[in-house]
Amino acid sequence: MSIVTVQLGQCGNQIGQEVFNAVCADVRGTHGLCSKKENESYRDACKERFFREEESEVPVARAVLVDMEPKVISQTLSIAARSGCWKYDDRSHFCQKQGSGNNWANGYSVHGPRHKEAIMNLVQKEAEKCDRLGGFFTIMSMAGGTGSGLGAFVTRCLRDAFPTSFILNHVIWPYGTGEVIVQNYNSVLTLSHLYQSSDALLVHENDVIHKICAQLMNIKQISFRDVNQVIAHQLGSVFQPSYTAEGGSRYSRNPLGDLMETLVPHPEFKMLGLRNIPQMPENSLAYSTFSWPGLLKHLRQMLIANAQMEEGIDWQVRPPRPGFSIPSSHPTNKPLHFNTSIANLVILRGKDTHSVDLGKKEKHTYIHQYTKFGIEEEDFLDSFTALEQVISSYTLL
Amino acid sequence: MRPVRACRGGKRRSAMRRQPREQQQSGRVLPGAVGALCRALPSRARPAPDTLRRARFDRPQASLDFWRLLYALLKQIHGGKWAESDAIGNQIRFVKSTLWYHGYGRPELYRLPSDGSAGSRELLLAFSWLLHRLSLLEQLLARNRVKTGDEASVCTCEDDLPNSQKGPTEIAPEYGPEDRVDVRYLQWLNGRLRFQWRSLHAQHQEQCKLLYKIHLFTSGSHMDKTLGHFSVTETDLIRQPGNYKQLLQLLESETMQLEAFLEWKQREPVYWQWMETVLDNMAEEGNPCESQDAHVERSGLPEVTSCCPWADSLTEHIGRLSRDLMTLRDQLQKLVMHRKAAWCEKVKTRKEELQKEGFPATARKIQESVELKLQDLTCLCAPRKNRAHGSCRLVLRSEHPVSKSGWGRSVSQEPVPAASAAEVIRELQMREASLGRELKQLREECRQRLDQIAEGLDGVICVSP
Repeated sequence: MSIVTVQLGQCGNQIGQEVFNAVCADVRGTHGLCSKKENESYRDACKERFFREEESEVPVARAVLVDMEPKVISQTLSIAARSGCWKYDDRSHFCQKQGSGNNWANGYSVHGPRHKEAIMNLVQKEAEKCDRLGGFFTIMSMAGGTGSGLGAFVTRCLRDAFPTSFILNHVIWPYGTGEVIVQNYNSVLTLSHLYQSSDALLVHENDVIHKICAQLMNIKQISFRDVNQVIAHQLGSVFQPSYTAEGGSRYSRNPLGDLMETLVPHPEFKMLGLRNIPQMPENSLAYSTFSWPGLLKHLRQMLIANAQMEEGIDWQVRPPRPGFSIPSSHPTNKPLHFNTSIANLVILRGKDTHSVDLGKKEKHTYIHQYTKFGIEEEDFLDSFTALEQVISSYTLL
Repeated sequence: MRPVRACRGGKRRSAMRRQPREQQQSGRVLPGAVGALCRALPSRARPAPDTLRRARFDRPQASLDFWRLLYALLKQIHGGKWAESDAIGNQIRFVKSTLWYHGYGRPELYRLPSDGSAGSRELLLAFSWLLHRLSLLEQLLARNRVKTGDEASVCTCEDDLPNSQKGPTEIAPEYGPEDRVDVRYLQWLNGRLRFQWRSLHAQHQEQCKLLYKIHLFTSGSHMDKTLGHFSVTETDLIRQPGNYKQLLQLLESETMQLEAFLEWKQREPVYWQWMETVLDNMAEEGNPCESQDAHVERSGLPEVTSCCPWADSLTEHIGRLSRDLMTLRDQLQKLVMHRKAAWCEKVKTRKEELQKEGFPATARKIQESVELKLQDLTCLCAPRKNRAHGSCRLVLRSEHPVSKSGWGRSVSQEPVPAASAAEVIRELQMREASLGRELKQLREECRQRLDQIAEGLDGVICVSP
């Protein structure tokens, strides 16, 4: 049950590499919490999901790297190979000589069609090597040119070529005070196109991750690498093998399918957010103890207050407003303060999860799901319908 | 094989004439036949021969056993799981509704009490009717075979019972305005269904890949040269040799059943003769009661159909279909006449036009579109050739990619001839293409209807996907 990762653009490639790093480290880590047999089956499941065995000694990541500039890709490849525990396939990358200049239309309408065949060939080869294709996981940023424009195009091609596969797009929300001037346009265009071809969009906001780094991880000089590592850690916690809701003696053979089925079956509501606790630097792990009730209480508080971290939760809890406001052109404006999520999926990892009481429903399983039908979901969709006319004129670039 | 006649005003036969012969022959041969029959039934639903004998004399003690036997057999046929702990009332209701579904028309059975206290002779009759009518034994044997793991199910049949022609009254919702279901909830459920279908699809693909790997890696190792490779069960046995005992047991019991079946086939005529005597006895006894119960019969039957909803809608469908057929035929005749006349006119004018324009390009276009339309028509009207249906065993051949040798679930004396997977794939692709065209057409119609509705509403712009 394998997931093929497509890393797009500078951001996508860097994050993707950190994700594989995190997964690999988790696989090799020994914490002696479970029996040996369970460890082994976990390791096997994890390996099958993200890597494949080749003649070389180290497992090869199931990934396709795409970028318009050669610099980032070669860096990514070399860092991975140097780690010694895993590497990328030398042929599974595609790059050109010139960049996209942060121009969405350049990526979507120019580079996309030109290189469609080459990229799709790589993806097809990767997909064929899977015994069972679980779906595609694309990583991209919304602000730049390659990730956003080319990414949207590639997602559409993926959907055309694999109509029955699950596609999960991971998008990085740019900083509010971003470095790219046209990032708002890029973001809106990307999102609207992705909405049509993809099954689910998982959003990570740079601002939030930055705050996590600063406050929780106590990092003084936050580099992109730190940000990426936090993101990778969060992603890892979702995609690592876990038992299914029907209870548990085997790891889920259909992670993307399970995820999508419980969270995004409705065609209009495709946005996903991720909340992860605890988040702390590696070194303080040894000094802290956790208990399930405490962790869950924090998690619930975070959900209700729509916060991304355990600390600094804004406790002005207000019910959602009955109407919706047409937001300004700055799309990162989300004035919701109540848990208006449509569905929640909780993934628990660690010892003694059998006795965890999740409150509303008591189920001694690893994955627990309760669904609420929110009165409204993110303001975002409304901004779509309002801005669609604007979007159509840009696509004619 | 002599058919069992339903006994409605059947002819009276003098039973006296038969008895001496019966006593001579059946004394020796009948127990053997009944014994073979019982042994040929699957182990979970195997009656003692004594039960049948007691039922012939209408002993009440045999009724309960017979109800349970019929329940077990019919549940197996209909692919359901059953628990022996099901209440006898439910079991009886199930048996009655299934018999009704299959067309058993003897009212005395439906009037039997629901506590299973009487009527074993009626049940014996029903059992024999099922034996003959449904080819019960053959079906059960086919269903309970030891699986090779290489099975694939094939179905190139047309869809039956299209339910797209429901009248407007049936679409009227049963919910009042308070109970209205949120359309978003329906979309949610639809989405879940779609995703589950996708997961199923991925699972199927995985199974195919792995099966191919097994066949490829074990090719050349099988003793049977026509197959050439191991099946999944055999491969599993190699990996886990400890399971051989279980497999052996299963094979032995299947062999025993098959042998009993062969024996039964030889001795069958005796059994049917015996059943004729049963029928004759019942005809003699049953006639007086028939006339006065005629009106009760009509009131009794609805109670049965209420627990058999699919039979209910079937009869409705049949009635409606036959009415529709008549009206359609009349309409068609009228249409054909009109069309012919209009067409002749068109042809004349077109001929004149064409003689002025260039001919080859337009002729080609016309030919293509006509071929497309004809393709659909011929597919629909073609006489039913042997639609492959049932499960087949997949066999990997080196010359052709994959071929199949199959024995379907339908009762045929010779096995279904081998079909190559490429052929079946082609057939299915044609069917997919024609369904795709039908879908496109339906979508166009929907779009036009939506546009019409939207025109009627003020201030509404309909943006179609």
